[in-house]
Amino acid sequence: MSLLNHRLARPGAYTVLLVIAWFVPYSVGSYEMHILDTALVYAVLAVGQGLVMGIAGQINLAQVAFLGVGAYTTAILTTHNHLGFWAAAVLAVLASALIGLIVGLPALRVQSHYLGIVTLGLSLAFLNWVTNASIAGSGSGIPGIPVPPLGSVDLSSDYLYYYLELVVFTLGLAFGLFVVRTRLGRRLRAMRDDSLAAGSLGASIPVLRMTSFLLAGVYGGVAGVLYAGLIRFVAPETFSTSNMFLLLAMVVIGGRQSLWGCVVGALVLSIVQNELTDLSTYSQLGYGSVVVLMVVFLPTGLAGVPSQLLRLRRHSTGGTSLTLGQFQPYDAAATTSAGEGVLLDLDGVTMRFKGLTALDQVSLTVHEGEIRGIVGPNGSGKTTLFNVISGLYHASGGTVRFGGTRIVGMRPNRLAHLGMARTFQNLRLFRNLTVREHLLTALDRTPTRWAWRYVLWPFGVQHGEKFLRAEAEQLLDRFGLAPFADAIPYSLPYGIQRRVELARAMSAHPRLLLLDEPAAGLNGAEKAQLAEIVGSIRDSGTTVVIIEHDMSLVMSLCGRVTVLAAGQVIADGLPTEVAANPQVIEAYLGRAAQNTPTVEDEPAALGSEEHA
Amino acid sequence: MQVFLQTLVGGLSLGAVYALVALGFALVYRTMGLVNFAHADVLMIGAYVASTFTMSEHLPFAVAVVAAMVITGLIGLVIERMLRPLEGKDFDLMLIGTIGFGIVLEALATLIWGATGRAVPSPVDTPPLHLLGASIPTYDLVVVGVAIVAMIALTLFLERTRRGIAMQAVAMDYDAASAAGINVGRSNAIAFSIGAGLAALAGALVGPLLYVSPSMGGSIGIDGFAAAILGGFGSIPGAVIGGVVIGLLSSFSAGHFHGYSDLVTFLVFAVLVMIRPTGLFGERTVSRA
Amino acid sequence: MSTTLSQPSSRVSAALQVEDLCVRYGGVQAVRSVSFTVEPGEAVGIIGANGAGKTSTLRALMGLVPRTASTLSFGESDLRRTPARNMVRHGIGYVPEGRHVFSGLSVEKNLMLGAYSKGWGRSQKLELDGIYEQFPVLGEMRQRPAGALSGGQQQMLAIGRALMSKPDLILLDEPSMGLSPKLVDDTLAILLNLCGAGLSLLLVEQNAELAFGATSRCLVVESGEVVTEGSTKELRADPQVRRSYLGI
Repeated sequence: MSLLNHRLARPGAYTVLLVIAWFVPYSVGSYEMHILDTALVYAVLAVGQGLVMGIAGQINLAQVAFLGVGAYTTAILTTHNHLGFWAAAVLAVLASALIGLIVGLPALRVQSHYLGIVTLGLSLAFLNWVTNASIAGSGSGIPGIPVPPLGSVDLSSDYLYYYLELVVFTLGLAFGLFVVRTRLGRRLRAMRDDSLAAGSLGASIPVLRMTSFLLAGVYGGVAGVLYAGLIRFVAPETFSTSNMFLLLAMVVIGGRQSLWGCVVGALVLSIVQNELTDLSTYSQLGYGSVVVLMVVFLPTGLAGVPSQLLRLRRHSTGGTSLTLGQFQPYDAAATTSAGEGVLLDLDGVTMRFKGLTALDQVSLTVHEGEIRGIVGPNGSGKTTLFNVISGLYHASGGTVRFGGTRIVGMRPNRLAHLGMARTFQNLRLFRNLTVREHLLTALDRTPTRWAWRYVLWPFGVQHGEKFLRAEAEQLLDRFGLAPFADAIPYSLPYGIQRRVELARAMSAHPRLLLLDEPAAGLNGAEKAQLAEIVGSIRDSGTTVVIIEHDMSLVMSLCGRVTVLAAGQVIADGLPTEVAANPQVIEAYLGRAAQNTPTVEDEPAALGSEEHA
Repeated sequence: MQVFLQTLVGGLSLGAVYALVALGFALVYRTMGLVNFAHADVLMIGAYVASTFTMSEHLPFAVAVVAAMVITGLIGLVIERMLRPLEGKDFDLMLIGTIGFGIVLEALATLIWGATGRAVPSPVDTPPLHLLGASIPTYDLVVVGVAIVAMIALTLFLERTRRGIAMQAVAMDYDAASAAGINVGRSNAIAFSIGAGLAALAGALVGPLLYVSPSMGGSIGIDGFAAAILGGFGSIPGAVIGGVVIGLLSSFSAGHFHGYSDLVTFLVFAVLVMIRPTGLFGERTVSRA
Repeated sequence: MSTTLSQPSSRVSAALQVEDLCVRYGGVQAVRSVSFTVEPGEAVGIIGANGAGKTSTLRALMGLVPRTASTLSFGESDLRRTPARNMVRHGIGYVPEGRHVFSGLSVEKNLMLGAYSKGWGRSQKLELDGIYEQFPVLGEMRQRPAGALSGGQQQMLAIGRALMSKPDLILLDEPSMGLSPKLVDDTLAILLNLCGAGLSLLLVEQNAELAFGATSRCLVVESGEVVTEGSTKELRADPQVRRSYLGI
């Protein structure tokens, strides 16, 4: 195992693979060569599908239609418009990229099953067009696509075409892996695991979704061009739903969340399917069954096998110790700006859901440098208030100002860029990202649309990555998380998960930090550490608003406390004042304290009281 | 006028079929939160089983239909049982699982009945009715009639029986239903097999109207799903209205756009989902994103 | 308007015995070795902060989450392997956190579903009339969808639904959630009424005062463990409890 982690292991393995791939044609017959050429087309296509479905979590069932757009555009432009092959190829990739964006549009509104069925419908619409349009051969296909010219290399030979494909495929896979392992890929994976949390870290979800479909379209287009140059004939059957499902099977069996898995799945299934042409129905039956078994028993596909074995091994050897490191306090800000400016100002905020008023005319002012406590019984609207402030909900009425800017209606990612960060009551961590990746995702403050740099200046992306990693190491050390940097948070004890979420929220040095019950589920020692951390965060110049039930924590930590009950602010003041306020005692601590109703005098009122 | 009336009746009978498909989708979606991608393939199996019983075994149409419903009901049970471990955990995996089942069913159908498909004769040989100069096939009316009866029966089951009401309760709150003593797993299995039975009924009815082949499910499935979305996945009337609207839409677009009717229907459907993901009639939240 | 409940079923009332109850989710141990007993006719409370493991304890008792326990029995019945759907047959009713009524179904159907396990016969109809008598507002709204009810009415409906199975023991998860102070008081009255009718009660509350008002004995949980346990009187006087849960 240690060899795998070695710095040189990865490039070494890649070189070996490339050498093997380079010498494969020397040992196979012409029929096998053709099958392998076809398999490589599917491998390129599968990388695209892996990116959009496995990495970005968008259920795209139109990938084979992107292949079709690429292949048909090449065919039409070369045979009908007599364009040169490579000119046609460029236009074909642009066309399928455009179609990718169009097919991705519904992803802005719907997800999961809905997206699957809409993309499937759109791919059937494409199929319907190519079987009917006379320009596309009216269903009988387009023959006579010219051999791609390449100097003196004769690409009509399947052997030589293989090398063209190998180069394109290697570049495609390398770019895909580059995306996955750097900031864009982390954002895509974060969005897949929890789009809400990813959004509140500053990622623009619509841009990410469209980017993933754009990538799928480009890979589909490239694969389509390769297909047209290889087969030199296109017909509708190649782009049918059953082939889409075959591609899906490749990706699922190989492991959709790993591009290598997708490639292996595509190569294996494509070769098996072509070797068994006479028994294709049986092989269909076979891979269909394998898909069903895979999703139930091995959802991560073949690519997930090594890590599962590793986990088993670790289980048997007992695993590492699970204690949090010491928190290293922030340097106090040069000037303490406590009480100076108003950072957050809510005026008459009302939030209604279908007849239920969750917040009723809530007004609240938080000054810079404050730690403000929000308390109130469960269901009194505290979390709703946070959701309104952080942009998850659009208030039905009232205004919210953050640093003087009106922010009602702004998306969470905009607010994150303005300097707001939050944690969630029920921990919204990314299910498949390591602790380090959580922090790397949060540290990335570039606008999402900067993804274009991947194409124009990949070295810049790689360079920026170094800075991000250095910052992440600092943050890991500061929050005592270094021992778990490469662990998946959900496998860690609850207290550590809470700490990860706090570190994630603090990654960007926010001006305002919203903490939603950060002490819930923590033990006494962990609560004491939390109090220390929150204090240090405030001293570093970040204003904190904290929802908390633990009254002793609230009393010791907060400068002011606001009490909510049934969606209304019923008290606001110093902790001691609030605790003594009779209205608060009645609402939060219970009127029962003073006068316990007896069995006899109350029930009569039960039936009628809520009528009006 | 004559053409219009004929297209209208054709659209209505197609719409009745779509409504049945939509009901199956909606029933499974509401109980398990899952869009069953194998639904259309179950429909195809139903069409094959029913037509095999009538054509080779010479059983009466009604008996063949019931047999098809029972067989596909069992298939539904198998699918639900296999995917049960994923229930409520990973919707995307369940979706891929149902696609896997779809692949398997299509392969099985090809192995059993061949890849070429078959034309199914109308089980009703009464001459067409003449109304206002239009000739209306009797079978179209049978289709509409059967679909209406099926929907009434389903409504009565869901609204009036203990099991039906419990099934709705499971859809609304899993834990509270368990605590009330309802066997949630069994309830979902029944929902799944009723959904499959409805698909088989739709398949058996649509067989004589279209052409039965292993790949017939694709577009009927999406049309049926479009009908379910249109109806808002909410109520039975919603699904019926959705089915009829989609039926009429494809019937009239076939007249106007000829070969491109699928293209038009799917584009309209995609735009519709963009504009109102919750459907035209429903207000239930459907996006589980 | 009657203020007394129909008597609990004629079965000999049983005690709930829990020993060494544990719940794990992934890497998180939500409940660690919790043990307690609810005697017949007794009302016991579990209080603690959010995330302390109160709800997990109740859900584990019901079998709604995977659990382990060395003893989990109600009367003579061993419940360690009993799935949630069979708990009601052993005489245990459950009122989930956040009420969880079947929002699209009518009030009457909600109540009848409470008696699902008994079949829907004449005696269930009688029981239904009993509930309407006890909570007249539910009777007036019997045909309305449960989702259209106010929070307090939904709380009554959830309790009424649990009563429909004629339980010996009711598990209540945070009935005060989202209710105004007045409604919390009303809820307390309902709970006292249930106790008065001889039912056993296990009440999970974050509102300590409500728990102290409705029960005679409470457990205090923290990080999934019972840290203190005693009569309500003792706990009210405990300075630690006063500081943490009563804010005094």
